[in-house]
Amino acid sequence: MRPSRRVSGLLLGLLALIAASEVAAHGERNQEPFLRMRTAHFYDVTWSTDKVKVNEDVVIEGKFRLFEDWPANLPEPDVAFLGNGTPGPVFVRTESWLNGQPAIQSVPLKIDRDYAFKTVLKGRIPGDHHVHPMVNVEGAGPLMGPGSWVQVAGRASDFVLPLTTLDGTKIDNLETWGVSSVVGWHSVWIVIAILWLVWWTRRPLLIPRLVAIDEGREKLLISRADLAAGAVLIVLTVSVVVIGFVWAENTFPRTIPLQGGRAVVKPLPRTEAPVDVTVERATYDVPGRSMQIRASVTNHGGRPIQFGEFATSGLRFVNRELPAAMATVSATYPKELVPPAGLKLSDSAPLAPGETRSILFDMTDAAWETERLTSLLNDPDNRVGGLLFCFDDQGGRIIANVSGPIVPIFKDLVAHQGMTH
Amino acid sequence: MSAQLQENRDSVVLYGRRWSRENAGLSRTFDILVVIIMFIAITAAFHLHFQLTVGDWDFWVDWKDRQYWVTATPILLMAFPAALQYVFWEKFRLPIAATVCMLGLTLGIWITRYSGFHTWSYFPFSMVWPATMIAGGLILDAVLLLSGSALITAIIGGMSFGLLFYPANWPLLAPFRLPMEAMNSLVSVGDYIGYAYTRTSTPEYLRFIERGTLRTFGGHSAVVSAFFSGFVCILVYLLWWYIGMAFARVATLPNRMKSFMGLHDRGAEGKDA
Repeated sequence: MRPSRRVSGLLLGLLALIAASEVAAHGERNQEPFLRMRTAHFYDVTWSTDKVKVNEDVVIEGKFRLFEDWPANLPEPDVAFLGNGTPGPVFVRTESWLNGQPAIQSVPLKIDRDYAFKTVLKGRIPGDHHVHPMVNVEGAGPLMGPGSWVQVAGRASDFVLPLTTLDGTKIDNLETWGVSSVVGWHSVWIVIAILWLVWWTRRPLLIPRLVAIDEGREKLLISRADLAAGAVLIVLTVSVVVIGFVWAENTFPRTIPLQGGRAVVKPLPRTEAPVDVTVERATYDVPGRSMQIRASVTNHGGRPIQFGEFATSGLRFVNRELPAAMATVSATYPKELVPPAGLKLSDSAPLAPGETRSILFDMTDAAWETERLTSLLNDPDNRVGGLLFCFDDQGGRIIANVSGPIVPIFKDLVAHQGMTH
Repeated sequence: MSAQLQENRDSVVLYGRRWSRENAGLSRTFDILVVIIMFIAITAAFHLHFQLTVGDWDFWVDWKDRQYWVTATPILLMAFPAALQYVFWEKFRLPIAATVCMLGLTLGIWITRYSGFHTWSYFPFSMVWPATMIAGGLILDAVLLLSGSALITAIIGGMSFGLLFYPANWPLLAPFRLPMEAMNSLVSVGDYIGYAYTRTSTPEYLRFIERGTLRTFGGHSAVVSAFFSGFVCILVYLLWWYIGMAFARVATLPNRMKSFMGLHDRGAEGKDA
């Protein structure tokens, strides 16, 4: 390769780096499928808007169910926190609620129970940001809900977060609160430290002093003035500490320690699901990107039901032939998480009360790949999980848990074996 | 002219020995080069040590509690000052090692907090300001100067190092401990900052903070923590003083590898002869 081409290539590479767009996602697809399919299932999630200005609010609401078939290798959610999956503090979280209770502190949650959440975020840093609801569970890490893009417009410098404390102190902007005091006190100490170092470094330092010690003249290295300076330094240091402490006590007489308690939030009232789903066989057709679950479904309720949606990891396979199911897909729900083919059934006739029927649920879409859920085939705990939304003839909704082992189908291998035989 | 430094036209007396002006000038140039290099090296190494050990307790305003932050920070900070005090004092009679460490650390922290946490990651500076540790370093150096003893420096300086940390930082911290109400709950301003500015994978429960109280001394857990920290600092100071001594010693080992490979160890031969 000629040198000019190398230089051109290098420049091109540098230009590509400069022109590369900001990385906007934050690794939600990199979480293992068993985490996303069998821990927290988010549903009915809505975003109040997909566009806000700096200082305006976006409200994220919805529910999540902590899955019945919780992975055995994860600790139970005895300590959890309602978070939000955003690229750092590009929004400010001004409120978060779990079942109407404040979620500013961590809480214990219960498996196989449902919780309603609400989070209010205030736009802070302009840009297009992927915003997820999220539950952090101690030992299990962040469990992400579906993500939607929210654009924040305006200037970051316009952002303010004012508040008033309980002693009446008005804080104009939490972003800058206390910073001048921090800078001031750091400066005081830095100046004293520099003066102390200058006191010693203004004279010959290393080799002459080393030689003096080697030759037994170390008493010449410390003068009476040095000792006096040391004594002054002790008095000055202690005095500044005391003065600073007294100043702070007088300026801020009412303070409290960090609040680290745990809150208690009751789950939503349990609604008995009169639908029982037992997975007979679940397969994933690798080249066809198709998941098929054959399940025995029993309707213990008093009304006939139809199957409207299979939801897992934020993906919603909706039965497009069922209007009641389609009506639950809001306009703000991310379209890439609602596969167009939806949910297909081997038998779409309503399941009568008391009836048990074996039904094949077909969910085929490239979303299995793009959401990287097919890597569950590499997991040591190879089970699929999700929620099945059933609708009765009066529009009532029943949510049933679906979980079971899954078997991969490698059709190219089958074809190859067929040819050799 | 002090007794330490006496000058005439061709030579200068430095600490009782006569140096030519040229040699004294070269020595001073060497001082300047080494001081710059050492300051950068100490800043980098001590800052790395600080990031890896104290870490979150100093990163965030809602981790600076009355118990673990107060206890752990001085103990973990004692390593470099104590080890370097041995070298600076025993080899050069310079009582500045702890101050150099703390000043370098302060510089390093401010660079990372401003560039890494504030500018790069969007956290407001009210959330990520660093604590000041310089007061403890000054006391350590001054006590070593006045006492000339590692043991006395450990006892008085080490205890002071632990005791002074919290009160020296209280003027910085107090504005963030004002009480406020958020969602019908009582929290401090620092708690609310930590809540409001999302750290996606650092939820509230990960905070390693006081979640009960030390039930002695009327719940003043910072006082108990500071005294405990000071006591441990005494021991840690002595440990690191001797580690500094070990690392400042030049040691050689006979090269056995050559004899294993059938080669003559000339050094050994010469020694035998």
